[in-house]
Amino acid sequence: MAYSKDFLMKLYRNLAADRILEERLVELYAQGWIPGHIHSGQGEEASYTGVLAVGKEGDQYKFTHRNVSAYHDVGISYNHIFCEILGKKGGNSDGKGGINHIADKDKGVIGLVGALGGTIPVATGVAYALKMKSPGNIVICIYGDGTTSRGTVHESMNWAAVWKLPILFVVNNNQFSISTSAEECVSVPNPGADRASAYGMPAKVVDGTDVLAVYEAAKELSDYVRAGNGPAVLETKVYRWRGHFEGDMARYRDPKVAEEWKKKDCVKKFETYLLDNKVITEEEIEQLRKEVCEEIEAGIKFSEEAPQPDPAEIYDCLYAEEYYR
Amino acid sequence: MKTTYVQAVNAALKEEMERDNNVVVFGEDVAQFGGIFGATRGLLDQFGSDRVKNTPVSEDSIVGVGIGAALGGLRPCIELMYSDFMLVAFNEVFQTAAKFRYLHGPQYKVPIVMRAAAGSAFGAGAEHSNCVESIFMHSPGLTIISPSTAYDAKGLLKSAIRSDNPVLFFEHKQLYQIKEEIPDEEYLIPIGKADVKKSGKDVTVIAVGLMVKRALEAAEKLAAEGIDVEVIDPRTVVPFDKDTAFDSIRKTHRVVIVEESNKTGGLGAEWAAMIQEELYDELDGPIVRVAALDVPLPYNVGLELTSIPDTQRIIDAVKSTL
Repeated sequence: MAYSKDFLMKLYRNLAADRILEERLVELYAQGWIPGHIHSGQGEEASYTGVLAVGKEGDQYKFTHRNVSAYHDVGISYNHIFCEILGKKGGNSDGKGGINHIADKDKGVIGLVGALGGTIPVATGVAYALKMKSPGNIVICIYGDGTTSRGTVHESMNWAAVWKLPILFVVNNNQFSISTSAEECVSVPNPGADRASAYGMPAKVVDGTDVLAVYEAAKELSDYVRAGNGPAVLETKVYRWRGHFEGDMARYRDPKVAEEWKKKDCVKKFETYLLDNKVITEEEIEQLRKEVCEEIEAGIKFSEEAPQPDPAEIYDCLYAEEYYR
Repeated sequence: MKTTYVQAVNAALKEEMERDNNVVVFGEDVAQFGGIFGATRGLLDQFGSDRVKNTPVSEDSIVGVGIGAALGGLRPCIELMYSDFMLVAFNEVFQTAAKFRYLHGPQYKVPIVMRAAAGSAFGAGAEHSNCVESIFMHSPGLTIISPSTAYDAKGLLKSAIRSDNPVLFFEHKQLYQIKEEIPDEEYLIPIGKADVKKSGKDVTVIAVGLMVKRALEAAEKLAAEGIDVEVIDPRTVVPFDKDTAFDSIRKTHRVVIVEESNKTGGLGAEWAAMIQEELYDELDGPIVRVAALDVPLPYNVGLELTSIPDTQRIIDAVKSTL
């Protein structure tokens, strides 16, 4: 497929920016800057940036705890992201949600349920609303290989297929649910795609380190979903570079395998492609990285200076209406 | 018009679906069949298969899809058949519906109503008879409604559907076929407003659901003995109408709380604690709880009736406060 320079540059910017953010989050966590836990998505960025490149105005997105950087891809500012991470004012929840609940309804973000897999029925319900109110729009519903074994995922796949709902299930298969490997706990080689046939929907498996391959597969399946044919499954094969959360040294797996996967760096791979095809120069890459870093640092600074939530507002937003309190 | 409780529920659904195209109904067997208790009868014919839908037997997802549909701009009024099945979808109700707005911010609202048939029904057994209000009362963010009359059921269901909050709506199985006169014209009942079902000056009885009926029967018998009971029906368990309850207690200084669920950790436990914390000086004696015995509800009807409070137990409780 021939791509426009604009398309490639936008895709690269998201991919590179997401890697920079994921690296910066790990540093910030190590410094004790971030409360709670973070789940680094390093190495997996292409598996979602490639999918998000098929998004259209009005589409709805469900992300995971492991793709914090994806929120920026759909237009949420770093100021907002860092305020939410710090639990300050200036995010979406005024300190009540946090890093796993970064959201902006106007940007199509559905939100996240803490027990993984809990959001899959919610995303399916959003797809029903889209079918009723906004035909042509789809839900892009991303989750991991571990989550594919939740009952809610199977219920939702069946339900979405029966009701022919516009939802693309995207399984970022990073091969581990915390310490348990996919082969230890899933009965088929492809935890996402191999289960699609049980629900009568098409599926593809793609190399999740190749952003253009991810985009191509997502485009084909999303076109199918968008046309009203019902749901589909895209499984992206990746590898979780770091532990489940920061502090997990991942001693339960072979470091040699991890090193092999790190050679398949999705950002470097795409940079090589762009340089080889003379879409971008080394200088342009440097310039872009510099801009992204500045934007991220400005977001960090903004969040550090943002006010803490007011304890007097602790009950705010619990109910949408005045009849309570 | 003279109508049964279940017909009142059906009429509320119909009126709200006529008023607002965003109101949709789904659940197990709600379409052609009209729901196993008949609450959704006729809706499929009138509103069509996009808005009235049967679902797979997937309770987690009935609630989860409902939440998503609500986030997406619809106003789903879903049916979970038995209130016990709400426990299958516990995470979706307790965590997701209740907390979604609080965790994601004011752009997000979850206008969903989760209807379910609650309570004992002569041999339905331990897993099809539960009253689960007290379990879900523990999760801030939910609104919980348990109407005791056809009039209240209709007016409150209409308000629930119009509410932007997630609402649990419990209809008692033993009340479904009870007929009463309700207005022909449209009416709404505000959420969070208790109803004084009988006024009296001696003892305040706070009762919910089927227990309101039993409390009224007890009050009638006690009246013959010269004991004047005031029966308060909170109607909405959450938010609890403290004003109405407290006004009554300031008058009677004696309180009995009657509920159909198990005593331990029940509605009575919460309300008794709240009343003694906030209104201690008004009390002339201990608050008495009348509740189901702390056993799973037995199948044998005789044992079932042993567990669930009856009129005599309420009468005895009232007398014990005097």
